[in-house]
Amino acid sequence: MDVEFEKVQVERGGCRVLDIPSLRLRSGRTTAVLGPNGSGKTTLLRLIAGLERARAGRVSYGGSAKPSVAYVFQEEVFLRRSVRDNLELGLRLRGVNNAEMRGRVDEAAARLGISHLMDRRADHLSGGEGRRVNLARALCLRASLVLLDEPLEGLDGRTYSRLLDELPQVLGAFDATTLLVTHNRHEALRLAQDLVVLVDGRVRAAGDKSAVMMNPALVDVAEVLGYSVLVSNGRRVAVPPDALTLGPGRLEFAMIVEDLLDLVGQREIVGRVGEARVHVAIPATGETPQRGDRALIHADRYCDLA
Amino acid sequence: MSELFAAIALRTIVVSGVATALSVLVGVPIGYVVARRSFRGRTILLGLINTGMGMPPVVVGLVVWLLLVRSGPLGEFDLVYTQQAMVLAQFLIATPIIIGFTTASFQALSPRLPDLLIVLGAGRARRLWLLAREARLGLLVAIMAAFGAIVSEVGAAMIVGGNLERSTRVLTTAIVTETSRGEVERALTLGLVLLVMSFVVNLSLTVIQQRSRA
Repeated sequence: MDVEFEKVQVERGGCRVLDIPSLRLRSGRTTAVLGPNGSGKTTLLRLIAGLERARAGRVSYGGSAKPSVAYVFQEEVFLRRSVRDNLELGLRLRGVNNAEMRGRVDEAAARLGISHLMDRRADHLSGGEGRRVNLARALCLRASLVLLDEPLEGLDGRTYSRLLDELPQVLGAFDATTLLVTHNRHEALRLAQDLVVLVDGRVRAAGDKSAVMMNPALVDVAEVLGYSVLVSNGRRVAVPPDALTLGPGRLEFAMIVEDLLDLVGQREIVGRVGEARVHVAIPATGETPQRGDRALIHADRYCDLA
Repeated sequence: MSELFAAIALRTIVVSGVATALSVLVGVPIGYVVARRSFRGRTILLGLINTGMGMPPVVVGLVVWLLLVRSGPLGEFDLVYTQQAMVLAQFLIATPIIIGFTTASFQALSPRLPDLLIVLGAGRARRLWLLAREARLGLLVAIMAAFGAIVSEVGAAMIVGGNLERSTRVLTTAIVTETSRGEVERALTLGLVLLVMSFVVNLSLTVIQQRSRA
């Protein structure tokens, strides 16, 4: 089921927070929405979920008037009841019979590894357990449209890594058109096939993740995707984070060194090229630029910006 | 004498019970809306509700009496000095208490919870019911506070009910009457009945409240 936006505008307190003339989320794929804080990512999800109203335009769902939607909130949101009761709630509200409900809930719990938590109070779970229950609740709805609002935000490093490793299989089990909101580029590339870059409520880039990632034609898109935007001889380019090297090259920049980072086994110099702050990896041994030095660096890879 | 006491106690429970029930029916949805929605004048409304929570019952009684008395704007309904008039006055005393506590109880819930229920497919009435169940500890406090306030008030009951022995005398007004007659022993007995009755009602609600906490 494709999701299509046509001339959609959302306002809040007289300010336009979303303005999307046209956008298509492709059926059966996971689309990650990337953007800085306040760019309208969550508003986009809430609009699709029916929690926000558009002032103008419309969102259509491949001919379906009102699709079945599952929403995974950023934080754990539960009734003060058992995990099982929380998983069953959505199914009860949607009129699923008891036998099927039990089957779906047990299957989703097994997939998310929370079968042992079913009798625990949902509001007494740890952060990681709560996120798993959030995902299981969405999974057992078997919705045609799944909305994930930063489902891993705020987890500690180990829990984050484990859940991130498991998420691709969970998303596969959803077997739905999925929209994932995140501000983490790495997460978006791991989990999604398509990318949408949202800045100030406007779609600045959209499409297959390789196409969007490899060619950020606009400055704000490049910044959201983690590129450094640098100027050399009047030419503005986007340089990927790992593409700067100390020394002369085809596309050179003068860098003012501000700091030297010892990252045990590798070192980086931090400094400025014009207004842009950049990090450049340097060999573990050898000559080291000092604070205040003017160092020559070059970009191995880059793309020109409009 | 015991039959007369029993009738007065029963009347007290009926009048204050009906007033509490009505104030819950009206006050809980209003508290939900005030807790959930942003609208112009919301802060002023909350200020008025909080003021209403501490409004002197005798003032409410006076206003209701002025409305219901024969020469008043609602005089044609001939309600003054009836149990209905007492229910009306006690309803007006209890409702701000119910709204105030309900608003605080709903505001203490996760602000995402109503959104979750919408997305899961709960309609408006089901949503209110599920959220009220989540906020039940606070809502039971609201009911106890409202019932406690109106069952023990004397001013409004005296003014709008008229303290008629066979129809509108309740425990508090009966205590005043017996004391003014010098029947201190009877007044103390009535006071004890009021205390026991209030304790039994509050104990029942507390048992429900603490059971739901588990």
